[in-house]
Amino acid sequence: MIKQKLTCEQAQIRIMGLIDKELSSDQEMELMNHLKTCPVCQKKYEAFVGLKNEAKAMKLKKLPEIYWDDYWDQVYNRMERGIGWILFSIGLILLFMYGSYEVLHDFFMNPAKPLLLKIGVGIFSGGLVVLFVSVLREKLMVRGVDQYRSVKR
Amino acid sequence: MATDQEIVIACRTGDKEIYRELVERYKVRAYYAALMYAKNRDDALDLSQEAFYRAYKALDSFDTDKNFYTWFYRILKNVCINFVTRKKTHNQISADREEMPELVSGDANPEEIFESNEQAKILWQAINQLKEKDREIIILKEFQEMSYQEIAEALDIPQGSVMSRLFYARKRLLKEVEHLND
Repeated sequence: MIKQKLTCEQAQIRIMGLIDKELSSDQEMELMNHLKTCPVCQKKYEAFVGLKNEAKAMKLKKLPEIYWDDYWDQVYNRMERGIGWILFSIGLILLFMYGSYEVLHDFFMNPAKPLLLKIGVGIFSGGLVVLFVSVLREKLMVRGVDQYRSVKR
Repeated sequence: MATDQEIVIACRTGDKEIYRELVERYKVRAYYAALMYAKNRDDALDLSQEAFYRAYKALDSFDTDKNFYTWFYRILKNVCINFVTRKKTHNQISADREEMPELVSGDANPEEIFESNEQAKILWQAINQLKEKDREIIILKEFQEMSYQEIAEALDIPQGSVMSRLFYARKRLLKEVEHLND
């Protein structure tokens, strides 16, 4: 089978493999042959090598050792808290269901309690729940993006 | 030394302590990957720790024939994107409330990420001008030092596409650098 010559676009794509050391020796040789005869691709090659070297020269700032000391502890705490939150939530849901049943049964279904009181308590409880959820939601949202949360007050 | 896959299998039996080895192995890479999104030290630490916690919870879904870090990277990326989106919304709401323009630019503080160097500043600025797709693949290659196979796994694209995606991303980056140098 006759091997087709590389087009300039194919060669330029393959330059990536060359500078990232991802080409097989055959692919590399084929590309080098193209570069020898094509000044346009040769120029591109030099530009990409320059870019690669500039990126290599960018030194990521090292984090002071003190930050790594409790890194694992922070991850571990989250792992433990995760299980804690699941158990806490299940317990809370069960308690809430029992409490709601009791209140419904002993208070709202009790004909001896005045209707106005029932309506008042119902509205008051509903308002409390809405306020609680709203404040909780806001706190959680702000906490997620608060840049100063690690600052001790 | 245990391989990543052996550690994951041990973790699945409930051994939490052994997960520490994986965290120690990848914490620096994870931190720098998060830093590329969060662009400040404290958030990057927090996000990378959150990602390790979420990865631990999801270990059952990890395919032990695959590379751990590329799988973990996908979780980390989701955590970071959610954070950036929430932060943008929050800043937008604050700006609307206070009738002030957004003060924090998305690509602020190159000094927090790189050692001070004028050319690094320009290159970082140029990288941040790119579309997210281009920016990400360049970061994976140049700063996460992933191989093409790892990039393909991390981005869930065929390995054959990595070279061409890198080519177009670098071509656009060159253009941005030239533009900034003019």
